[in-house]
Amino acid sequence: MAILDSRRVSRAGRWVDVRHRRLGMWAYALNRITGIGLVVYLYLHLCILSLLTRGQSAWDSFVSLARSPFYLALDVILLAGILIHGLNGLRIALTGCGIGAGAQKAIFTMLMIVSAIALAVAALKIFHI
Amino acid sequence: MIENPFTEEPKPTSAWLWQVFTGVGLVILLGLHFIANHFVAKGGLRDFAEVVAYLRNPVILCLEVLFLLCVTTHALLGVRAILLDFGLSEQTERRLDRVLKVVGALTVVYGLAVTFMVIR
Amino acid sequence: MPKVPLQIFRYKAGEPSRYDTCTVDIPDSAHVIDAIDAAWAVHDPSLTFRRACHHSSCGSCAIRINGVEKLPCVTKLSDVWDGRTPLRLDPLRNFPVVSDLVVDISSFFQRMSAADMAITCEAEAFLPFTVDSFAVAALERKAVELPEDFSRFNRFEQCIECGICMSACPTMAADDRFLGPAGLAAIYQARHKTDDPKKVEHLLGLADGEHGVWRCHSAFECTEACPQAVDPAGKIMALRRELIARRFSKMWGK
Repeated sequence: MAILDSRRVSRAGRWVDVRHRRLGMWAYALNRITGIGLVVYLYLHLCILSLLTRGQSAWDSFVSLARSPFYLALDVILLAGILIHGLNGLRIALTGCGIGAGAQKAIFTMLMIVSAIALAVAALKIFHI
Repeated sequence: MIENPFTEEPKPTSAWLWQVFTGVGLVILLGLHFIANHFVAKGGLRDFAEVVAYLRNPVILCLEVLFLLCVTTHALLGVRAILLDFGLSEQTERRLDRVLKVVGALTVVYGLAVTFMVIR
Repeated sequence: MPKVPLQIFRYKAGEPSRYDTCTVDIPDSAHVIDAIDAAWAVHDPSLTFRRACHHSSCGSCAIRINGVEKLPCVTKLSDVWDGRTPLRLDPLRNFPVVSDLVVDISSFFQRMSAADMAITCEAEAFLPFTVDSFAVAALERKAVELPEDFSRFNRFEQCIECGICMSACPTMAADDRFLGPAGLAAIYQARHKTDDPKKVEHLLGLADGEHGVWRCHSAFECTEACPQAVDPAGKIMALRRELIARRFSKMWGK
């Protein structure tokens, strides 16, 4: 029987298309995107830490650069990713162990509100340092 | 008669449980790391002398090493979950697991090496 | 009667897939399946689709309407058509397309069968009752006596095996070996219908692998899409809770 079957890569990327999908799917896509971003950041961060092995002047020059408004803005984006991924991750951990699965949408909404508030407070602190 | 591939009992897996365990650990450890290095530290970042003093504290050192282990495990389990979506064969999945274990080990060794080079 | 424009996915073996557009004269109080029937009857009798009961109990007609999984037999046109944009009709996702709106669901039934939830032709020959005996009992106002081993033939109550959950699931898109929301819900149901410890071990063992409960990414799309309130996601999470509890018990030597 001849059949039509999608290519592997397009099937692997299907989670990106959240059109017509509901809150749980949006949460899943958001978790993946922030997760990928954080993995990239992790390895960048580890590479930058090698400057510590080059002595005081190498590290302190980087610190001066990292205090510029552009880098502080990147820090706010990083923190957004951490809050979204971390708090949504707690929801996945809870519901995934069979606790509160029926209230998963409410839990997600509440945690994202908490993230937004925490991010706003942190952003104010970051730009006032 | 077509064989039913879904009747075979698979090997139990703990990957998701480790993902959750390290994830919960990271909420605490990453939270502490972020606060200590960006909100407690004067000016939001530690200069070289401050980093050395920070890491020479034995409690801090243990927490940071634990943090490194958790974040590496969690990150690479996440990468594994995404790569499993590419419809890999059983053999490729096993190879992927071995590669990620090596990457994880190298990451941790690198992190420990940088830490101990800084504090000696 | 409004003229309803349809954009229907078409595929025949050996040809590239495409979308055909046509317009059908149909009252908007009708259901989407009536529009598909009209497209077949009036415009193209080569259009292939499945339908049977017209009241969401057989699950045959499941498709995607404007990208969302639904049963067209109980979906009113007025609920999904905005009055001008063509209504897009696609087959279910994550199953190979045989022709037009028909997909190959044999792997779906393999999953159900693995959970011992499918009634096969062999089982039907030995059913200890017939539809007629129910009708006769109702006419004579008598209670129907079910045989003691009736549960052997009982399906799980709400699932109509439409495949909608499997189409909505993002993990089903990526993993052909995933048991899927329906398969895992069936395992849950079968596990709770038996006291036989060997059978329970086997069923939980099926669910405990890389392509079982642990492959679910908690998108909850299956529960949202299910037309029969089976709540497959809830059942997957309940299975996980039981498996975690068993692992902890084993760790503590209980």
